[in-house]
Amino acid sequence: MTTPNPTPARRPRREPSEALLATLLLLPAAALLLGVLLFPMLTTFRDSLYLNKLTEPWLTGFVGLKQYAQMLEDPRFGQALRNTLFFGVLTVGGSFLVGIPMALAAHLPGRTRGLARVALLLPWAMPPVITGLIFAWLFNAQYGVFNDLLVRAGIIDEPLRWLSTPGLSVLAMVVTIIWKTSSFVALIVLGGLQGIPKEMIEAAQVDGATSTQTFFRVILPLLAPSLAVAFIFRTISAVQVFDIPYTFIQQAPAQGLLETLGVYIYRTGIEFLDFGYAAALSVALFALSLAVTAVYVRFVRDGANS
Amino acid sequence: MEEQTHENLSPAQRVGRAAALGALVVGGFFPFVWMVLTSLKTEGELQKFPVQYLPSKLDFSNYARVFSEQPFAQFFFNSLAVSLLSTLLCIVAAVPAAYALARLNLRGRGLLLTAVVAFSMFPVVSLLIPLFRLMRGAELLNTYPALILPYAALSLPIGILTLVAFFSAIPRDLEAAAMVDGTTRVGALTRVVLPLSMPGVVTAALLVFVNSWNEFLLALSFNTKLSMRTVSVGVTLYQGEFAFPWPLIAAAVVVATVPLVLLIAIFQKRFVSGLTAGGVKA
Repeated sequence: MTTPNPTPARRPRREPSEALLATLLLLPAAALLLGVLLFPMLTTFRDSLYLNKLTEPWLTGFVGLKQYAQMLEDPRFGQALRNTLFFGVLTVGGSFLVGIPMALAAHLPGRTRGLARVALLLPWAMPPVITGLIFAWLFNAQYGVFNDLLVRAGIIDEPLRWLSTPGLSVLAMVVTIIWKTSSFVALIVLGGLQGIPKEMIEAAQVDGATSTQTFFRVILPLLAPSLAVAFIFRTISAVQVFDIPYTFIQQAPAQGLLETLGVYIYRTGIEFLDFGYAAALSVALFALSLAVTAVYVRFVRDGANS
Repeated sequence: MEEQTHENLSPAQRVGRAAALGALVVGGFFPFVWMVLTSLKTEGELQKFPVQYLPSKLDFSNYARVFSEQPFAQFFFNSLAVSLLSTLLCIVAAVPAAYALARLNLRGRGLLLTAVVAFSMFPVVSLLIPLFRLMRGAELLNTYPALILPYAALSLPIGILTLVAFFSAIPRDLEAAAMVDGTTRVGALTRVVLPLSMPGVVTAALLVFVNSWNEFLLALSFNTKLSMRTVSVGVTLYQGEFAFPWPLIAAAVVVATVPLVLLIAIFQKRFVSGLTAGGVKA
């Protein structure tokens, strides 16, 4: 292992300009990442220790960890956290159940591959807020096409009030998030599928394995790294979900059930102008994200070492 | 080989494959297609149950109203300017960084790459309040830089990681040959590596552009002046507290999504290769 050697003067002589060049090349990116992402995050830690509420400007000053204690007793925070985890489990799981078959379908040989690729990319590229709007319309109680199809198919007798019935609004939002996110899973899995040598699958088939056996015993284990990457990215985005709940809440009276941590932070900071408490909430979300990131970094390192 | 395995399929398997492909295509396209159909209907045609699937005639008046009821052309221009400039800034910062990480003898290279990965998971929502206060302090609220700076920074990790993957794939010999001929390191980057990795640069730029075009939370919070709104926020401005003029909203949604649909149709292979390769290597 190399020992840390911070003094530039003691650099090995043969490559003095290369280290300097590397520093210069890394500088713009480092400035952006540190200045626009890291520095603001550090100020959040500080802000979370101070009262700062624009609607009650007389309440100021250092309060230590009081706002974190407040969080623990805040039922709305508890609910938002539970909602976030609940939606996270359902939508991450759902995006895999839908995404893996999507990837298999898109991987099929044939002339329709281009069309399949666009079908995969479209939900991925659709802005989340627009996805929320579109599905709010598809789930519309009076004239929504989902009700229409369900009635025509004889599954329900009369239109359901999807967005104004608490349980149904949760289901509608889960469906919407799964539609939006399963194509990301599918794209990552597709990358994994393209990396599997055809010979391995043919060998399994020669040995008499059925397609189901081939899938579960050969393909799925080889997809493990892709699935792990997709899982971590999906978990991170589920923890941070904002756009789709935000659009749904505007149309659904059962807001409490749909409010995620991201929406609660937005409301606390931007709508209630309570910057101090919003900073504490932000730190909580950051910690949650960091935990997932740590798992990911460890995973990448293990992958690099093996 | 592919053809042969195709021939071996039983009729049931063929039907299964066609069904899977059909479900994928219908599932992917339907919501967007439905918005196009909705945007061409009148309020009267819309208020029917069972639903009338196709509009009686092609009526584009909703599209005219999108632009007359809100300054949507301005929203569109703002989105275009913010997305293009943040993409430019991001790529300009990502190319040299990725080159240094992919090619130069760098101490702590692994650690730096890990840091880039960690930054790619940074929660935007946690940054909302501090960035808001920062932008307010710098009097940047309701300006393009209020969005350009965070968009470029937030997409920088994915840009760097995508480019590192592409740069690493270029044979070192080509650079070495150029440098033997007297070209400098920077010359090797701009004259040898960069032209050869143009597909990678385009891929990275596309990913950054889509991210920026779609961003909602920061745009909603930082640029609240009507003339500074972007399309992702603009599409939400047609609804009242209780009124949802769906044909109008649908037309706005279609206009806001058309650039993305075009990019996907044109660059589908780049997107897929960028997402599959970049993601797994990230």
